[in-house]
Amino acid sequence: MNRGEWILISRRAQVSKSTRPRLCPIERVNQICRCSFFLFDSFSFAEAAAMFHNSSQRKYWIFKSEDEVAHMRRKANQKFRNKIQESGKSAVSDSMFLERHEEDVLFRHYERRLLDFCNAFKPAMPKSVVGTALMYFRRFYLNNSVMEHHPRTIMLTCAYLSCKVDEFNVSSTQFGGNLLHETPAGQERVLEQILEYELLLIQQLNFHLVVHNPYRPMEGLLIDLKTRYPTLENPESLRKSADDFLTQAAMTDAGLLFPPSQIALAAILNSALRASLSMESYLTECLGLKEDKDSISKMYDSMRRMKTLLKKYELPKADEVNIYKPRLERIHAQFASSSNKRKRGYEDDSHVAKEPRLVEEEWTDEDLM
Amino acid sequence: MDDQGCPRCKTTKYRNPSLKLMVNVCGHTLCENCCDTPLRKSNFRVQLFEDPTVDKEVEIRKKVLKIYNKRDFDFSSLREYNDYLEQVEDIVYNLTNNLDVENTKLKMEQYQREHRDLIQKNKATLTREQEELEELLLLEQQGNEQRRLDVLQDEQRQLQAKRKNKQALLDELEQSQLPATILLAQHKVRAAQLETQIEQQKQTVKPTNLFSTGIHMRQTVSLVAVPKVEDVLFHYKPLHVETYGPPVPELEQLSRVGYLNHVRAAMPQDTAGGYTSALACHRAIQDAFSGLFPLKG
Repeated sequence: MNRGEWILISRRAQVSKSTRPRLCPIERVNQICRCSFFLFDSFSFAEAAAMFHNSSQRKYWIFKSEDEVAHMRRKANQKFRNKIQESGKSAVSDSMFLERHEEDVLFRHYERRLLDFCNAFKPAMPKSVVGTALMYFRRFYLNNSVMEHHPRTIMLTCAYLSCKVDEFNVSSTQFGGNLLHETPAGQERVLEQILEYELLLIQQLNFHLVVHNPYRPMEGLLIDLKTRYPTLENPESLRKSADDFLTQAAMTDAGLLFPPSQIALAAILNSALRASLSMESYLTECLGLKEDKDSISKMYDSMRRMKTLLKKYELPKADEVNIYKPRLERIHAQFASSSNKRKRGYEDDSHVAKEPRLVEEEWTDEDLM
Repeated sequence: MDDQGCPRCKTTKYRNPSLKLMVNVCGHTLCENCCDTPLRKSNFRVQLFEDPTVDKEVEIRKKVLKIYNKRDFDFSSLREYNDYLEQVEDIVYNLTNNLDVENTKLKMEQYQREHRDLIQKNKATLTREQEELEELLLLEQQGNEQRRLDVLQDEQRQLQAKRKNKQALLDELEQSQLPATILLAQHKVRAAQLETQIEQQKQTVKPTNLFSTGIHMRQTVSLVAVPKVEDVLFHYKPLHVETYGPPVPELEQLSRVGYLNHVRAAMPQDTAGGYTSALACHRAIQDAFSGLFPLKG
């Protein structure tokens, strides 16, 4: 699947409409099958290829516990510190670096900014595109430190890449037009930066570009409830609060710890709980888990963990952000200047970097005479 | 191609469309850069490729292959043939990029001296093969011409017949005593007969004695008995995919169970493209159930 994802990006063009089925008319869900459709001829076999259970997300980007995730972030922080220490730049004190909790505040701040950017995007960005962009952002900073690559550019690159991967066709000029704070020249510059960072982002995602969001599973669960669970009279009433749950969950590590269908189920069960509706028998009867007490308890456990994650989320406080941001800028100004000259992502492949064809002659004063 | 121009007089294809850029031995168009190599007008060839280095390599390759003209059946093993080819490529590469030119030229001369007879023989076989090919091509062309002429003649004849028919009708209308409607009916019958005749002619296959692959019709091609390969008999096992979730109903069952009542129905525009609401429903259910159960252990 990875090669298919990479080919999708490098083509930069829309899949022609004739090779895929028409857009699914279920509200707010706008994709059926992606690149796997034209690899296989029978539709049911194609579905086996594009689902969560054999996706790269399940294999490589679902982690066992919150501790494992925190450990990875600590490692990234440490890696950057070591890199700077080893490069031997003078006047480097440990206090200059950002601590983990400080990085966290900045991460959440820029994540909010990304969410606001996507919500204000014109034309309106579908929810799955927003979800994919947030997931890219989160995955990138799992293995990299905010001190090494500035989140301001990475967040825009995530949005740009997500539009391409999710086939939400936006030209780069249109994308740039959404940067409302910049002049047209400034937009061009930002776009250039985005294009520079794009390959680095893809590389740090380990080329795993397909992200499964919980929005379609939620639709599916609602359909299943309406069909097989008459005990619940009006499942539609659960939709709004489940939607809010999912939006909040996207700002937590839930996507890195649980499959999207479990997150969707948690959203629905949570909103049922809030409305004081009981859905116990859904799990036992409809999902066939009557005998499997072990699985049921594990599922409730996961849902509890998710709720804890949502509760623990704090909006980044403005005063904290105002302290940490200048420090971040200072770090970038001091340490990032050396890598500015080379294109991002090409650093490891020396044969990819373009050598100038002709050696340009040096200008001397005599030439000007 | 428009941005390439003669470096000397700077005219481009834009200004002078009939300008043909010539390539010289050193690979530069209109060479003054390598003023050390003496230029001859006879050495200028019309540039075929946009990149003059490619043209240079093509020329060098032609010369080298005139000398190194062994074929794949001259070698006893594939490995030897590949080694030989690698040798040739090395020589071409060296000459193209001006690396170690003298040594390479020495190597070439040595090879030429050693294999003089073989080179001559191969040249002879090449020319013979080319002649045979040309003959075949000529025959084919003649056959095509003949067929074309035949078709043309047939058409002419048909046109003639039709014209005669019409003329006959006009004559009869002039002279005959019968009423016009009967004459018209007769004419129509005759025209229809002509048409069927023409159709029949088209249907009849011209008898030939040659298949299109060149094998004669009556020739018996000896088929060597194909050796029987014994292998384990294949047993079909249906594909089983682990979804880590509850079982998903089949696409065809969805409407029966009642799922489709809760999905937006497909509009005529959608069904025209092959879309059904069952597809979307099935996909949503699959996504909802995939990975729903926690992993065991």
